[in-house]
Amino acid sequence: MSADKEQATPRYAPDFHQEFRKIENGEYASQCMQCGLCAVTCPSREMMDYTPRAFFKLIHAGEKEKVMKANTPWLCTSCYLCTVRCPRGIPIVDVMHGLKHELAQKSSKDGVALLSKVFFKTFMKRGRLFELGFTNGFMMGLGPPKALKVTLKQQDCALDMVKHKRLPFFPPKKIKGAGQLKKIYNKAAALQKEAHKDGV
Amino acid sequence: MDKKWGVYFCTGCGIGDALDIDALAKVAKSEFKQQNCKNHPFLCSKEGIDTIKADIADGVNTLVIPACSSRAKYEEFRFGPGIIVERVNLREQAAWTHEVDDEDTQMLGEDLMRMAMTKVKLTELPEPWQVENLSKDVLVVGGGIAGMTAAMESAKAGYKVTIVEKGPALGGYVGKMYKVAPTKAPYDVLPDNPVPALTKALEDNPNVTVYTGATVESISGGPGTFDVKISGGADARAGAVILATGSVPFEAAKLGHLGYGKFPQVITQTDFEQLAIDGKLKNVERVGFIQCAGSRDSHFLSYCSAACCVESLKQARYLKEQNPAGQAYVFYKDLRAVGKYEYLYKQVQADGTVFIKGEVANIAGDGGKLTVEIDDAILGEKVAVQSLDYVVLANGMVPSTAFGTEPGQTEAEAEAATAKEKTEEDDIPKDVILKSDLLNLNYRQGPELPTLKYGFPDSHFVCFPYESRRTGIYAVGTVRNPMHVGAAIEDATGGAMKAIQCIEGCAAGKALHPRSGDESYPEFAMQRCTQCKRCTEECPFGAINEDEKGNPLPELTRCRRCGTCMGACPERIISFKNYSVGMIGNMAKAIEVPDEDEEKPRILIFACENDAIPALDMAGLGRLQYNAWVRVIPVRCLGSLNLVWIADAMSKGFDGVMLLGCKHGDDYQCHFMKGSELAEIRLSKVSETLDRLGLESERVRFKAINIMDYTLIPSILDDFAQKIDELGPNPMKGF
Repeated sequence: MSADKEQATPRYAPDFHQEFRKIENGEYASQCMQCGLCAVTCPSREMMDYTPRAFFKLIHAGEKEKVMKANTPWLCTSCYLCTVRCPRGIPIVDVMHGLKHELAQKSSKDGVALLSKVFFKTFMKRGRLFELGFTNGFMMGLGPPKALKVTLKQQDCALDMVKHKRLPFFPPKKIKGAGQLKKIYNKAAALQKEAHKDGV
Repeated sequence: MDKKWGVYFCTGCGIGDALDIDALAKVAKSEFKQQNCKNHPFLCSKEGIDTIKADIADGVNTLVIPACSSRAKYEEFRFGPGIIVERVNLREQAAWTHEVDDEDTQMLGEDLMRMAMTKVKLTELPEPWQVENLSKDVLVVGGGIAGMTAAMESAKAGYKVTIVEKGPALGGYVGKMYKVAPTKAPYDVLPDNPVPALTKALEDNPNVTVYTGATVESISGGPGTFDVKISGGADARAGAVILATGSVPFEAAKLGHLGYGKFPQVITQTDFEQLAIDGKLKNVERVGFIQCAGSRDSHFLSYCSAACCVESLKQARYLKEQNPAGQAYVFYKDLRAVGKYEYLYKQVQADGTVFIKGEVANIAGDGGKLTVEIDDAILGEKVAVQSLDYVVLANGMVPSTAFGTEPGQTEAEAEAATAKEKTEEDDIPKDVILKSDLLNLNYRQGPELPTLKYGFPDSHFVCFPYESRRTGIYAVGTVRNPMHVGAAIEDATGGAMKAIQCIEGCAAGKALHPRSGDESYPEFAMQRCTQCKRCTEECPFGAINEDEKGNPLPELTRCRRCGTCMGACPERIISFKNYSVGMIGNMAKAIEVPDEDEEKPRILIFACENDAIPALDMAGLGRLQYNAWVRVIPVRCLGSLNLVWIADAMSKGFDGVMLLGCKHGDDYQCHFMKGSELAEIRLSKVSETLDRLGLESERVRFKAINIMDYTLIPSILDDFAQKIDELGPNPMKGF
């Protein structure tokens, strides 16, 4: 029995844990046994608010706010190293992906979610990325005050990119068969929906 | 028997290149007058074996086979009953470990021949000792899941079984369970309790007699002849005994710091089983399971009970089954879902059960609901989990053998002990035997199985898990070792097999594990016995009772043929037909010890057959080289080491003596439990003898070795040789 009189914080309310299980692939989060292999494996762990292990623990602990605001899923580069190594066979990348999807749907004004959304939209249009169009789309989505702030912060980077001809003013050519790409995307989305129509 | 000898040299495997075989044959021919010597370049081939078989057909019955180790090619060189076979290990001990075609190697080979020829000269064919009125029945003490399984398996194999169960019905602890943890794939569905079906099957089996509400009042005799008195007046005779008295949950009343006794909602796993049986979990919302409640804590129960984690996982599933909206929390230090139960763990996680790692700091009650405060090791803060309907303590298990006093703890006995003068035998560590009133053996050494740590009657966890230190009595299930239901069933099946082996071994007059199949047995030349009681005291298996005068009364079916009594006897009256003090002594004397001026020291090694000899063989297989001064005599166990051998070796002129035996102490590896320890104790007394002879006590050394250490063999032997070299030659040489 510990002697210290530290106040115990009430945690582990089951509501959020249950809620998270309804997110695409979210049910896998329950199976984390906190071994930490993902955390030592993840190449982005230094930049993450929480390593995947800690992230799963917060889900178990019912810390909804911390989980939903964490940059962890957004910094996942889908390298699959954690998924390959997880002894419990949790498809961690898929869990992160499911959560990103959920966040993008729910909070389109949020910075990273918006970035992801605009990126995808720009990409689908030509099958290639048009940096300037992408940046503009993102700024528009953010709204003028925020956009100004970001622009000022990023101006050095932008100028450097212009100098190195990495920020062309005209959009690149469409890829061949951009229509086919769209079809592939739609089919994948339909399959995804079909697979998860029962919620899990 | 009239010995008709045949000596068959193998010159294959490099033996012929390393040694002059004709010179070795000359040893047999001129020194031992055995003219029937043959060579073969590939003796273990069909042709080679046929040569030997043809001679056997002509009446040869005593074979000396100088070739490889007796641990190799044993199928080929087995010639059936009535034939004495002695293998001379020229390959591993000479040809492969020493310089090829060298004078010293040749001398080593010749000495190996002399030792073997001397041994065979003194060997007689053992005749199996048959016990009268042998019973082939099995007695099972304890009718829980382990006892029932052991009984069922024995009965299925055709043996009559008697079960003695203390409680009013069969079933034991598992009988009170709602369901059991899964025992087969996919490990996520809880099967129904197997006890009712098993009870029915046992009751219907004509081979099984069940006594409930009964205990064992006494057991006398030995394997094959156990006479059992059961309370209520019944008698039984059994060939083997299976102890399956199980364990009891650790006393929860001692766990006040976890709220037991303070809050009625703090319950044990046993109570939770009852709630599940009564279907009372339907309205239960939130349950906390506290793992290691008292376990792995030196104040309560120092060990892990191995089953409680699995039980809690199972009980978390009960909640889900009866109330799908229920939420379980498991508070753990380390979760040990042993074996395939990882799948159950995964399933319980998938059910939504939350696992929290840390030390429970406090349990508080608030209006009928409980709050568990825990120092969360992963979140790194003190966390409260609130509104729990029940807190279930996983309180571990204590073996039924752990209850009871040690003989000598009662006042009268303690007085007697202090009154007794301290004698030499007091150095010998005593077995811990707790009077737990389970078997009530009429053994001179004590009424129950000797226990090791924590009151478990284990004998050798790693090497022979089923064996106890009382031959023919096998502990199975949680009495032996904490284990979950699946493991107990498996354990009981293994125990039944051991009991059957014991019965059949006794019927054939053969030794049991680890010298399985050995037909020799110790014979006592009683007219010279001085009633010193050393043999009865030192026998690791309690095989020797004694009468009022102190005469030993050997119960030969209890004997494991290690020869510890032979080593203990100061009068040297105990011997086997093929193993005796005189035989080993003469083997040592047969070795030629060169004169001092030849500068060829000699080191005699007594090596335990169980681990040291295999290690030497491994060194041979690895072609490791060591000095050619050593001469190795295998012994059944270092416990059979008689000090006279060392005195004889020293007066013969050996420069050093080394004992190679198994590790002893807490994690001992001695196959006969304490043989190597006894040898070292005896050795500590030898310095007196050496002083009398004017010798340095460093000339005699004990070294513990196990088979994995075989790479150390050259350094052990060479370091000792160097030490001997520094000490100079034995001054007794040439006298």
